[in-house]
Amino acid sequence: MNTLALILLILFSGAIVAFLSEKVSKFLPSLIAFISITAAGILFYTSPADVFNFKLSMAGLNFTLKIDEFSRLFVHMIIGLSWLASMYAVGYMQNKERQGTFFFNMLLSIGGMLGIVAARDLVSFFVFWEIMTWSSFLIVVWTGADFRRTGIWYMVFSAMGAYAMLMAIMMIYSDIHTFNIDEIIAAIAEQRLPHLVEASVLLLFGFSVKAALMPLHVWAPNAYTQAPAAYTAIFSGVLSKMGIFGMALVLLSMLKFANPADFSLVYINGFIGQILAWLGAITAAIATLYALIQTDAKKLLAYSSVAQLGYITIGIAIGTPLSVMASLFLAVLHALFKGTLFLAMGAVERQAGTTDMTKISGLIRRMPWTFFVTLVSIISLAGVPPLAGFVGKWMLYEALITNGNVFMVVVVFFSSTAAFLYSYRILFGIFLGQEEDDTAHVKEAPLSMILPMVVMALLLIALGTYPGLLFDPIAQGMTVLGFENVTWQMTVLSNVWGNTVNLMYISTTIGVAFVAALLFLTLKGRKGSRNVGTKDISTSGEIPLEHENLTYQLDFFKPFERAASPLYRRKMTKIYDDLSNGLDALFDFTRKIYTGNGQTYALYVVIFLVALLIYVQNTL
Amino acid sequence: MSITPVHYIAVPLAAAFLIPILSKFHKETARIIPGLVFSYFLVISFVLMRQVSNTGIISETIAGWRAPWGINLVFGYFSGFFATLMSVIGFLTWLYSYRFKLVDSKPAMSYYILLMMLVTGSIGIVITGDIFNMFVFLEIVAISAFSLTSFYPGRDGAEAAFKYLLIASFSSFLILLAVLLLYTQTGTLNIAELSTKVHLIPQSLKLTILVMFVVGLGIESELFPLNGWAPDAYSQAPAPVGAVFAGVVVKGGIYATMRVMFTMFDINEMGQILLILGLITTIIAEVAAIKQTQVKRMLAYSSIGQMGVVMMAIGIGTEDAVFAALFMMFNHAIIKGLLFFSTGFLLHNSLTKTIAEMKGVAKKFPVLSFMFALGSFAIVGLPPFSGFWSKLYFLMAAADAKLFSMIALVLAVSIVEIVYYFRVVGVMYYHQPDESLPTKQPGLNAYFVMGFLAALIIGVGVYPDLITNFLHAAAYELTHKTEYVQTVLTQFVR
Repeated sequence: MNTLALILLILFSGAIVAFLSEKVSKFLPSLIAFISITAAGILFYTSPADVFNFKLSMAGLNFTLKIDEFSRLFVHMIIGLSWLASMYAVGYMQNKERQGTFFFNMLLSIGGMLGIVAARDLVSFFVFWEIMTWSSFLIVVWTGADFRRTGIWYMVFSAMGAYAMLMAIMMIYSDIHTFNIDEIIAAIAEQRLPHLVEASVLLLFGFSVKAALMPLHVWAPNAYTQAPAAYTAIFSGVLSKMGIFGMALVLLSMLKFANPADFSLVYINGFIGQILAWLGAITAAIATLYALIQTDAKKLLAYSSVAQLGYITIGIAIGTPLSVMASLFLAVLHALFKGTLFLAMGAVERQAGTTDMTKISGLIRRMPWTFFVTLVSIISLAGVPPLAGFVGKWMLYEALITNGNVFMVVVVFFSSTAAFLYSYRILFGIFLGQEEDDTAHVKEAPLSMILPMVVMALLLIALGTYPGLLFDPIAQGMTVLGFENVTWQMTVLSNVWGNTVNLMYISTTIGVAFVAALLFLTLKGRKGSRNVGTKDISTSGEIPLEHENLTYQLDFFKPFERAASPLYRRKMTKIYDDLSNGLDALFDFTRKIYTGNGQTYALYVVIFLVALLIYVQNTL
Repeated sequence: MSITPVHYIAVPLAAAFLIPILSKFHKETARIIPGLVFSYFLVISFVLMRQVSNTGIISETIAGWRAPWGINLVFGYFSGFFATLMSVIGFLTWLYSYRFKLVDSKPAMSYYILLMMLVTGSIGIVITGDIFNMFVFLEIVAISAFSLTSFYPGRDGAEAAFKYLLIASFSSFLILLAVLLLYTQTGTLNIAELSTKVHLIPQSLKLTILVMFVVGLGIESELFPLNGWAPDAYSQAPAPVGAVFAGVVVKGGIYATMRVMFTMFDINEMGQILLILGLITTIIAEVAAIKQTQVKRMLAYSSIGQMGVVMMAIGIGTEDAVFAALFMMFNHAIIKGLLFFSTGFLLHNSLTKTIAEMKGVAKKFPVLSFMFALGSFAIVGLPPFSGFWSKLYFLMAAADAKLFSMIALVLAVSIVEIVYYFRVVGVMYYHQPDESLPTKQPGLNAYFVMGFLAALIIGVGVYPDLITNFLHAAAYELTHKTEYVQTVLTQFVR
């Protein structure tokens, strides 16, 4: 049997088995999910690369699935993160109700994502896309809180996106009567696709919804927050990247091979690319601003995810080799660090009961490993050397400047600076500050939860010094997209202006400094020091009492919020609320056609009959 | 004795006579005999479909009178599809309602007889080759449907039945008038012969006849603005009857429309009008559905909306579009069936049948709620359920006809559809039950019926080839009417 089909079959049948096994034991679904993903991963990594294609003819349509080098990059992300998240979920979901439903949908959405990146025809792409959408919807509403605001909004926006895609698919179909992506690319090259501009715009609209681009992002913060953390890691880490994958498919793969003399292509690549990039930049800026004022760590991360996807979109939309590389690098990194952060917040939520930063503090001693992974991923998120986030940002800035988008650099720089603020807030709000009595009982999360986070944190550290490990698969993937000979080095970054950054040098320096400081403190601590609690302090010459907490967590960024308050006044959600209220009124008005009165209905029949007779006799 | 199409009509009529007599001896026979009849329908459908695939269209003359004078029954892929679908839905409904306690006091003998007549009449519509005979069967269906609508005693049921009666009488009148005009102009009532003679009718009269058919049959197939009766009828009839209305009765109306428009006339004459009517029907019905507070009314409007899309596909008129229309009808029958069946028990003891009363039912009825949710997912067209494919084929047919603005509108109202179905699912799963209604757990028979439909939805969704070949053959037969006409007319000449 075909390996690719087998992997999908394992995931989908694993989903059903997991769903049914809940009846047997509460513990079983998580185990089955873990085993299925492990099996799929083993199968993927032990098979030679050329077996991953698969053709199927059904219902008068031809379905083609194939994993090429570009999809392979995404498959690494999907399988890697899902595997770690499912390991984490074994501990995280322990003793929760309705685990069967959770793991059923988790496996389905993972299978859906694999199907999406493997799809080489638009119908199977759409089928897997929809499976991914509804299974993730069921996980978003899994906790059951706020079904209307979170669940329905997610589903409505997803449906809008999906139907825009479907519309585009149908336009393409009406032109060339095929769904096969390779044939579509060929048709574009021969200018046989009159609806190219409309179809591309609609496809990009659909993908923007999943990538949570302004102004279609309103579903994302709530959905990311509501989903259980073990899934949010996948959701924000790779599922949202499916939007990026789609954009790459349209902008880079489908249009790249096209005839450059075709006006509409220039239009799409230039004009629409610029618009998309700007939307990405604005998304990054605004989502960052909103992330700053959140008090719930998970929601903060949700907004941060939206912002990060903004950056990634910019790179894809600009479309130069460097920007695409930067963007894909950031995409993988985002999966790693945001995956870790969501898992870490899940651990905090499980152990301390909440992720509200105004309620908990000083968990560093209670959950040291969680603190460690949070620290590593936050450094990565903020883009500070020696971790890998720096590399991605560096390349993105260079790509934007060389492409002439100087204003965009300003916006991106602003939001990436502001990202420092909210990253710090997570670290401080949850782990630092004084310990509270309420959190005294908190223990570190079990090993099965710590291990995946630590693995990802170590990967982040490694990539900070050796980004080339990741450049290699990215460059291979970009070859498929038509970017030949992308140059990269294992540990050195260089730009067009002749500057080079030796990452090895940086990390060695920092490492040495770290070890030296550690040694110094440990040795010095040997004598003449005593163990103190976090409340054993004096401030301004006064010694605060035991119950007085000096950690300031409420109104953390009060001065900033005051300064930026005009920016928060306009909310996209309000526009959508007004729209839905307006539609509601319209629907109510329309519904009144059905009066419930038999005589009125009879009158309708007569009027209709007469009108139709007159119309027909006069026109046909 | 070999099985022929006439068994579809003769057997239930005989059974209907036997039931009152036999039930004097044993009460249960009133329930069992219709079940036997439905089982026999399944056998007939199976045997005849095999025969059609071997030897082509079957045409049978009744009582020795040859075609122009006597009535003939025609059974090909197209009619066979409808007859089989109706038999299956009829059988499942019977099985489902076997222990469904319909009225507390009254023995439900009339329910089973009416159900049987409803299905028989609908099958009669699809297998007859005579336009007047079709009218008669339409009347049989209508009368059974009125009675089932007012089955529960009380004002609401009577009111709904009265509205239905009022509007349906327009339908009968118009169809009868159209048949009359046809007869005076061509001197025949045989559909095959009519199709060779309609070009003799003067254009303006022909258009008038067509308009009468559109309006008359439009009432039966729930076209806007002729469908005022439908929501009341669906919501007042017993829940399993909702499944029959959606899966059998409306299908009869649509079949008649297709037969008249494609075989007797040329679809291009009325295609545009049907297309636009279908679109308006869909939009208004879906919009009305989202404002409903009663589950069954919501399902009724949703049915109307689906029929609007089917009518659009008919209006497009290509073979692919007909295929899509048939696929949509198949899906609509099985999915709406599942939705009505699960609702039947979920709201069994509720008086108001509002959505609010479904709060938290998933805790008490996990399987039923799952079935409802599955139906909701399938009917809004999410893959991998069967509803997705029919939607895809419809869109492909529409794209071929370059109807992009219509595709956009249909997709836009699909979002509305998602909202109102998922809202109900949300209420079922994510709200706390606030009061404890006395519940009734479904029996094994009901579980079997729902399980079968769910398996069909998933099976066809995962592997649509289960039925597509069959539907393609039916669509081909309808859009290429020569074989139908030839088969009937050769018999006539002989």
